[in-house]
Amino acid sequence: MGHFILVINPGGSSTKLALFEDERVIFSENLRHHGEELKKFSTSVEQLDFREKFIRDFLREKAVRIETLSAVVGRGGPFKPLESGTYIVNEAMLSDILEGRTQADHPSNLGALLADRLARNVGIPAYIVDPVSVDEFEPIARVSGLPELPRVSLSHALNIKMIGKRFAKEHGKDYNKLNLIIVHLGSGISVTAHKNGRMIDVNNANDEGPFSPQRTGTLPLSGLIRLCYSGKYTLNEMFNRVHKTGGLYAYLGTDNVEEVEKRIAQGDKEAEFYLTAMAYQIAKEIGAYAAVLYGRVDAILVTGGAAHSGFLVDAIKERVSFIAPVFVYPGEDEMLALALGALRVLNGEEKPKEYK
Amino acid sequence: MSYKILVINPGSTSTKIALYFNENEVFSETIRHSREELSRYPNIPSQYEFRMNMVLSALERHNYKVEDLDAVVGRGGLLYPLESGTYRVNDKMCEHLRIGVQGEHASNLGGLISKAIAEKTGIPAFIVDPVIVDELEPVARISGCPLIPRRSIFHALNHKAVARKVAKSLGKKYEEVNLIVAHLGGGISVAAHRRGRVVDVNNALDGDGPFAPERSGGLPVGDLVRLCFSGKYTMDEIMDMIRGKGGMVAYTGTNDMRIIGERAKAGDKQMDLLIEAMAYQVAKEIGGLATALEGHIDQIVLTGGIANNEDFTSRIVRRVKFLAPVTIVPGEEEMQALALGALRVLTGEERAKEYNPLEEK
Repeated sequence: MGHFILVINPGGSSTKLALFEDERVIFSENLRHHGEELKKFSTSVEQLDFREKFIRDFLREKAVRIETLSAVVGRGGPFKPLESGTYIVNEAMLSDILEGRTQADHPSNLGALLADRLARNVGIPAYIVDPVSVDEFEPIARVSGLPELPRVSLSHALNIKMIGKRFAKEHGKDYNKLNLIIVHLGSGISVTAHKNGRMIDVNNANDEGPFSPQRTGTLPLSGLIRLCYSGKYTLNEMFNRVHKTGGLYAYLGTDNVEEVEKRIAQGDKEAEFYLTAMAYQIAKEIGAYAAVLYGRVDAILVTGGAAHSGFLVDAIKERVSFIAPVFVYPGEDEMLALALGALRVLNGEEKPKEYK
Repeated sequence: MSYKILVINPGSTSTKIALYFNENEVFSETIRHSREELSRYPNIPSQYEFRMNMVLSALERHNYKVEDLDAVVGRGGLLYPLESGTYRVNDKMCEHLRIGVQGEHASNLGGLISKAIAEKTGIPAFIVDPVIVDELEPVARISGCPLIPRRSIFHALNHKAVARKVAKSLGKKYEEVNLIVAHLGGGISVAAHRRGRVVDVNNALDGDGPFAPERSGGLPVGDLVRLCFSGKYTMDEIMDMIRGKGGMVAYTGTNDMRIIGERAKAGDKQMDLLIEAMAYQVAKEIGGLATALEGHIDQIVLTGGIANNEDFTSRIVRRVKFLAPVTIVPGEEEMQALALGALRVLTGEERAKEYNPLEEK
């Protein structure tokens, strides 16, 4: 009999729940919350009791007995910067989240709290795995052109680390001895350099690098500054412009790459041009990370939802295949990544890390 | 027969002039202008006669007359975007330089003064590769925000001159090679030259690309927006942070890489980290542009004032030599680049281009 692992992934308007037996999924559900239910709460952490009851009700309905589980694993939040790995949810982590010592208020902060609530009474471990704040930067990567605005490590670490380890396993290699460039293509885009298993540089997908389906990425700054001071926009409107309605969306009115690809197939030259421009910027970012690794790159891995787009992936490959062979892992499976993170620890493949 | 070419390069507080016989410099001189002298004029175009007279008297001091000259070439200014080349100074250009269609800059006077001197004896006046040279591929113009397109503004004069020189040393024409050229000065511009065209370049003036001795380069955009709305800074103060007071100046108080290098050698770890970080960002920019050329690169070239700094360039070279051989061409020979641009036209190697920008059509 394998390990039964419950996975909890709290999002903005839903809670995703999954039960795994080892790496095999038994069920995985995206449980929506009605808009009104969550509006009562001003912060994510205040939703703890509500979401706990919701989960317990669901598990009862599914006849899942918590005491039969080996572990509960939650999505990690924008915690303080930490090394990659699977972390035991401990008192230090709980108090940091409850007392707001995180980089932002985000529903994923609830992952650790909920995992702890469920695991605690039955005496099984609660974990979180590779939160967005995984930080393995070398000191030079932190330096920007202005001391007030250092570069920070924020990325789709959960999916990226899983894909890195999966690639290593499939090729009979040790992830900790590989140099990889791993690219996550989602509504935001992370391009990351891995040196011997450490993610030593990353474009912060909110603030830097290629434009993405929703985000602007890097912009010529003087133009941005002029917009900020134009008096036409509030701070939130500017954030919106940079983080939600920038990139492909700003040009094509959609952030859905699948739809853009359909338009291209129908002969839409404009759609083709802007998706090509996005691929161009992604390729440039990959080239930059090749220099970070002194050109010693074992493979380039492309993953995330938009990696389903053949057009996009081909346009990237054309420009970067001279650097290293490119492997594509379309999609993003956070639930599996969380389960695997817990499983590696349960199987003794990895030691759990302690949050300090 | 040798062509006699007068070269005029107006800067913010000086006017450099030189006389060339073909590719050989006969004399060069930097005429400094005091703040008081310049403060008598309301704007840059109105300094034109004052500076022109200084140029003419310098020529006389060196015992040459306007009648001896075959051509006059000036530093090009902030015109509308143009493809690279040597341009005849025509009436439209003079009008645009006078108005400052893309902004006021001392180099706008280069074309105006050249034209006025050349007209005295009916010889041609030229400008060569101004900073607004624009040969970007359409994809390179796209940023993540339609309101802020990427623009081509860079050290075109030195880029083009050095690229030609390197191509020649490879036994090829500039139009036959792919190069990545990094101009390392107070600002840093890294460009992909594909068969004679600069198809992509970071805009060193607007805050893009690696940080530099005086400039911030690209910064995390969300954090920058927050800084703009913090209420602590005026727009001009933020603009100063990205050009003039950004980069090395912001960390160390100086833009002098020699001083920073000495402090690093004396054991200051922070200085060493900063030098490495700047090299790191330049290397990343070069790596990025390598993909714009799909990896087909004949040579990587490091040039500009701080390409003299071997400690700094060696840190870049280590990271990018896997892409292509790296050549270092230190310094910046603007005067010679201008003279050679004019000479190519005088000898018939190239045809002078006519200034007739797209923006006007």
